[in-house]
Amino acid sequence: MFLELTEEQKLIQETAREFARVELEPVAAQLDQEHDRGPLLANLKKLAELGFMGLNIREEFGGAEAGTIAFSLAMTEIARACASTAVTVSVNNMVCEVIQAVGTEEQKQAYIPRICSGEFAAGSFALTETGAGSDPSGMTTQAVADGDSYVLNGAKIFITSAPYAGVFVVWAVTDKEAPKGKGISCFLVEAGTKGLIIGKEEKKMGQHASATNEVLFDDCRIPKSALMGKLNDGFRTAVGELAGGRIGIGSLGLGIGLAAMDYATHYATERSQFGQRISNFQAIQWMIADGYTELEAARLLLLNAAFRKDSGRTFAKEASMAKLYATEAANRACYAALQMLGGYGYTQDFPVERYARDARITAIYEGTNEIQRVIISREILKNFG
Amino acid sequence: MKILICVKQVPDMESRFKPDNAGVWFSDTDLAFRMNEYDEYAVEQAVQLREQLGDAADLTVLSIGPDRIVEALKKALAMGCDRAVHIQDPAAALKDPWQIAAIIAAFAKDKGFDLIFTGLQSQDRGSAQVGVTVAERLGFACTTTLVGFAFADGVITAKRELEGGVKGVVKLRTPALVTCQLGLNVPRYPTLPNIMKSKKKELVTIPVADLLHEEALAVTARFYPPAKKGGGIVLEGDVGDMAEKLIAILKEKTNVLR
Ligand SMILES: Cc1cc2nc3c(=O)[nH]c(=O)nc-3n(C[C@H](O)[C@H](O)[C@H](O)COP(=O)(O)OP(=O)(O)OC[C@H]3O[C@@H](n4cnc5c(N)ncnc54)[C@H](O)[C@@H]3O)c2cc1C
Repeated sequence: MFLELTEEQKLIQETAREFARVELEPVAAQLDQEHDRGPLLANLKKLAELGFMGLNIREEFGGAEAGTIAFSLAMTEIARACASTAVTVSVNNMVCEVIQAVGTEEQKQAYIPRICSGEFAAGSFALTETGAGSDPSGMTTQAVADGDSYVLNGAKIFITSAPYAGVFVVWAVTDKEAPKGKGISCFLVEAGTKGLIIGKEEKKMGQHASATNEVLFDDCRIPKSALMGKLNDGFRTAVGELAGGRIGIGSLGLGIGLAAMDYATHYATERSQFGQRISNFQAIQWMIADGYTELEAARLLLLNAAFRKDSGRTFAKEASMAKLYATEAANRACYAALQMLGGYGYTQDFPVERYARDARITAIYEGTNEIQRVIISREILKNFG
Repeated sequence: MKILICVKQVPDMESRFKPDNAGVWFSDTDLAFRMNEYDEYAVEQAVQLREQLGDAADLTVLSIGPDRIVEALKKALAMGCDRAVHIQDPAAALKDPWQIAAIIAAFAKDKGFDLIFTGLQSQDRGSAQVGVTVAERLGFACTTTLVGFAFADGVITAKRELEGGVKGVVKLRTPALVTCQLGLNVPRYPTLPNIMKSKKKELVTIPVADLLHEEALAVTARFYPPAKKGGGIVLEGDVGDMAEKLIAILKEKTNVLR
């Protein structure tokens, strides 16, 4: 048992922390309130140049080959400053990882370096549909073979980064007759392809700077070579890659929770009522103790899941546990932090209400926490009875 | 052109410092460490010079300290230095500037360095003596407090910061040593691929006993945090009274209100 980060991991954490403090933190509130994407895109470009879009990607494709622990550390530091930036980075990493895992050599060469270098501001992961959220195998978007192409028809919803993504990983039904989940394939669709339409953007509770859009396919013709992985095997890919993404989302939640607790704890040592600092009150002390204890547990769960992934072990259950726990701990931490600030916590003059809004979605996307519990219990029950 | 950059790893200055058991320096348990800020300017300037000179430049980064300082060396490697030297010394924090300078000079002697970059001072000890003492021991030309640097035709043109924002320009020939000040440059962030590649660069470890033959000249006798200050002035009464009192204080003690 050795719980020390390597020097490289510490340096990556330090770089992420410094970048977040200097470049992200000062614009986070503005990004939240003004919905201005300029600073977001500028920061994404800088993050790409530093190597944050391909933490777990091989050097030959422009990645950092730094591993999942480094990915988790970086996500947490970025999210401490700006959750919208963090989710974009998390999804970009996931998109690169899917392509690296199942793409052909040509697909890897064609797309991964462009996301890693920042030539593409983002990549999108297009799985969810209105009728297929927690149950993506119920999707109806179709890809029909036609000569040397496939023709896509259907609609995706809630697609992160769609308006500025250079490439979309898209799941579609290729065999309607197959049993559930056995007739879905995965495709790469370039932005600008005829028939690929970026639909309306959602007005969200938080993570405002990160765009979440409908994506429509209207006789969208793509070459046969756009198929990624084996025909009809795409659902397995989605499930596998989401497990890795969950480490990113859990780490993102952790970062928001830490930002909230740090802010509120500092506030509690300065705010006076009844002639003393409110941090003297046990009620406040317990919020601090519980908040940090839960976030520390979350951190260890995340690092354990990341460690298992890096060492080639199974990690889906651990990633789900970490995502579930970290995002719920983060939400509790944000609400406790808001409570510690009293009425000021509810105003936009202080960042805590933003943290609370930004943290909320982490318990929902990349598999709701109910679905995480389904996965965890299924994995455990396998070993009983 | 052979270039040496001397860096030190220091605690994050936001840390809470506690005296060590002997009460002569701070305890380093539980502290987070990073590269001394001024040394980051030194590394950055050396890397920029390397970009100017291309492969004609060779950058060695040196640090003295316990094993944890390898992180600072790797950062310098990731920023663009070519090789690193770790002078292993678990007790480096207890050495005085004279000894630290003696170690560096003993290493650098006969190695043919043309130019040495150091920080102006370390953020924790703040003696500002190491750089100049190294120069003296090696017989190098030396200038301090750099806020501007240029190199052409074997001549360094150094812009120095003097008191009250006044600047001075100094020209010196190599071999030379310069110490770097805030404002000289903006240190780059090491890229993640370069951080990972720093593992593959040369890192030589030398026990300090091989290089140090000097006694300390100025031993730190005691380390203690300042006595807790009173909490400033606390105004009391109703809001109107407090506002009156505050205005009176601001008028009397500051230039904010006249
Ligand atoms: C901001 C944002 C960004 C997103 N980004 C992306 C993206 O980039 N790509 C993408 O493909 N998708 C994305 N999503 C979609 C997201 O992953 C889904 O919203 C999520 O998986 C839940 O699906 P749903 O919204 O249809 O909810 P539903 O599946 O309708 O769930 C409704 C409720 O029922 C519960 N529930 C459903 N099934 C079960 C069950 N078996 N047991 C117990 N409870 C259950 C859920 O937990 C939830 O509480 C994003 C969503 C948002 C809001």
